[in-house]
Amino acid sequence: MVVGRNPVNGAMFMILSLVGVAGLFVLLNAFFLAVLQILVYAGAVMVLFLFIVMLLDVDVVSKRSPGNLTIAAGTVSVFLLGLGFVALLDRPQMLPEPTLLAPERLPSLETPMAFVTGIQAYGYSLFTKYMLPFQMTGLLLLVAMIGIIVLSKRFENKSV
Amino acid sequence: MDWTKVFLSILLLPLVAALVNMLFLRRNGTTAALVSITAAFFSMVLAMIALFKCTERYSVSFPWLSLGDFQASMGIYYNPMTATMLFVVTFVGFLIHVFSVGYMSDDPAKGRFFTGLSIFMFSMLGIVLADNLIMMFVFWELVGFSSYMLIAHYWNTEEARSACKKAFIMNRIGDFGMLLGIAWTYWHYKTVNLQALEVFSSQPGFVIHGGIALLLICGFIGKSAQFPLHTWLPDAMAGPTPVSALIHAATMVAAGIYFLCRIFCILDAQTLEVIVWLGSGMVVYAGICAFAQTDIKKILAYSTLSQLGYMAAAVGLGFPGLALFHTTTHAFFKALLFLGSGSVIHACHHEQDIFKMGGLFKKMPLTTALFAIGTIALCGVMFTSGYFSKDAIIEVAYFKNTPVFILLILGAFLTAGYMGRLFYVAFLGSPKSQNSEHAHESGFFMLVSLVVLAGMSLIGGYTQGWAPFARQLVSGELDTVHHQIVSLQAEGLFSVLGILPWAIGFAIALLFYGIGAKKDALQNHLPSVYSFVNQKLWFDEIYGFYVRNVQQRFADILNFCDVVLVGGLLVRGTAGLVGVVGMMARSLHVGNIHIYVYWFLAGLIIYWSFAMGYF
Amino acid sequence: MTLHSVILVAGILFITGFLGVLLRRNTLIVLMSVELMLNAVNLAFVGFSRYNNTMDGAVFVFFIITVAAAEVAVGLAILVALFRRRQTVMLDTINQLKD
Repeated sequence: MVVGRNPVNGAMFMILSLVGVAGLFVLLNAFFLAVLQILVYAGAVMVLFLFIVMLLDVDVVSKRSPGNLTIAAGTVSVFLLGLGFVALLDRPQMLPEPTLLAPERLPSLETPMAFVTGIQAYGYSLFTKYMLPFQMTGLLLLVAMIGIIVLSKRFENKSV
Repeated sequence: MDWTKVFLSILLLPLVAALVNMLFLRRNGTTAALVSITAAFFSMVLAMIALFKCTERYSVSFPWLSLGDFQASMGIYYNPMTATMLFVVTFVGFLIHVFSVGYMSDDPAKGRFFTGLSIFMFSMLGIVLADNLIMMFVFWELVGFSSYMLIAHYWNTEEARSACKKAFIMNRIGDFGMLLGIAWTYWHYKTVNLQALEVFSSQPGFVIHGGIALLLICGFIGKSAQFPLHTWLPDAMAGPTPVSALIHAATMVAAGIYFLCRIFCILDAQTLEVIVWLGSGMVVYAGICAFAQTDIKKILAYSTLSQLGYMAAAVGLGFPGLALFHTTTHAFFKALLFLGSGSVIHACHHEQDIFKMGGLFKKMPLTTALFAIGTIALCGVMFTSGYFSKDAIIEVAYFKNTPVFILLILGAFLTAGYMGRLFYVAFLGSPKSQNSEHAHESGFFMLVSLVVLAGMSLIGGYTQGWAPFARQLVSGELDTVHHQIVSLQAEGLFSVLGILPWAIGFAIALLFYGIGAKKDALQNHLPSVYSFVNQKLWFDEIYGFYVRNVQQRFADILNFCDVVLVGGLLVRGTAGLVGVVGMMARSLHVGNIHIYVYWFLAGLIIYWSFAMGYF
Repeated sequence: MTLHSVILVAGILFITGFLGVLLRRNTLIVLMSVELMLNAVNLAFVGFSRYNNTMDGAVFVFFIITVAAAEVAVGLAILVALFRRRQTVMLDTINQLKD
């Protein structure tokens, strides 16, 4: 995605990595987030990207060699990451993988499983502890919506 | 019936109309007029229902603000006083709304005008219904604001601009005293609720605090334009005529009297004495001033001042019911007179000088007849409404306070004199200018409200026909007066006194000015007297001197502080600081996105080294 | 799976995105790279949340996803507006803000 020249190819690889992250979410028992990841990122966001890529129909331009400063910055960042990894692997495993809590009662024929999934936990957090951020998110989405409408509106009096 | 809802509807309907007009109908004057009139009409209907159906005292209160121990509430206290005033305000207000449709038909800012009228109705009704002094003060200020807004309707004329400022500032001076009085009331009596104060004052051993009463009546002096804050009322005639009728004659100035009657229980004897002398002095002073005016509206304004003097005198003599009785009848005939003059002004293409009118009785006979009815009611001619209310006050003065009695009689004589002058000069004789020659009878909307008001001016004084609940207000006091007169065997005197002042007044005015005079006879024959009267005791000059030499100096000092400290240090300083920061920030904005990434990386390194403990 | 491995993957994803922002000149790719960085953060969040046995990190991912979606939408709208005006999406030609 980073090295390829064609934006469409880049987007395809991007989808691949997003789906991969979703798989990791599943492995981490975050099923709801995995679903969300697929739906929002792979589904909505990347489709939007591809759509814009095709709409704008950007030419594949010759790759220009990046400036010295950029290369330096890239080296520094890779170096930083490596430093982080070294620090990470240097110390012993601090956190053992905790066991997931068992459901309070196992479903049976007499007591069918109530509609309790992981999502309920999210809902509970969202509407209690994270009430304000939740509301702010709603506001942010509204602002984004209005912003897009304003941006995509053509103003006649301005020359294009 | 749920009276709380009824009273709240009466109060809030005009507010809703004002909001609708203000938000949606600023450019659509006709619809705005319709909305305002509808609101005023339903307010009036509900007020009438309450007048006839709600026959006992009623009070309700909602908490509004609570700061520790201090509790301010919004509430309604309904008693005979409230019933009467509700009816008067909504009734006269509604008719003036109707009149305005005709009068303002060619005004481009009708939406704004009707918004103002509705806000005014709302604030006035708030005063009438208020059950405590704080709520009353809130609406008191709203009335001041709406009158400011309405006087300034013709804001592009210098006269209206200065008049609205003057009205507002004069009212502010009085309101300041009133606010202090309210605070003192709360501190002293631990309550500002009117009903609680009434109960409180009826207990034995209750001592009225004179200072509180004196401060509270400052509000009355400002709003009812009494001495020494009276100068704003004549100037307020710069507003449109319906506004003059509604605000400066029928209702707003009556708010001051109403306020006095509401707090009557905590007024002490000395304060009442002050009110009597203020009132009766104003009766004569305004009566004299009216002779020097040539503007039809200003003559009426001075007559309003003089009638307010009668009401104040009645309160001061200990008869608040009679004061409200006169307020009621005065509202009818003064609204009639103002609207009549509005009709004349409209017909004469906004000519207001009575010496340029003349001969109007041929052109507009109905208006002339109605104006004549208003005139005789104002002068207290037998069997009109003014006769009953004004004579009752004069009778009270007769057995209570003889000097005041003489002043009031003199006032009645003067009233007939200047009203006679106005009527003879403006309506009779022959036309004296182009404008009055082309006068024509007014339209339907204007005439219909005039006719209704004329009817009320004639019959409004017969308290036998009033709703029983409202009559409680006056019947007791009227009986007292009647018994006193009978016991003093002065009925004969008063049947004469009921006729003499106005008869002499009209006659002298006729002899002196003649019919349809072209010039002011007083100015011709006695120029020195005329110029003396025209100066109005130099009040404007004294205020002008005070403002120029005392207040202006003080304002200069404040201005200096403002320019140097606030303007120079705070405002410029802050702006300069922000400017420097902005310049620094701008140098970071180089427009190349890669540079931003470098900054990001630098931040990351700083953060990382911080986390590693290198700092 | 250990926490180490999760963070390792998240770090690699992040540096990939970062290099993308740094090296590429096509604004579309840059935006995509920013998304990738956000996703790496998400992964780290979930990992930490899982190993600390709390819900907070996972809930925060929810917010990040929302913000990212809004950001993409606005960013792309800006991009389209820009393209309409300048006929290019290349970063080194978009430097009008300098003045």
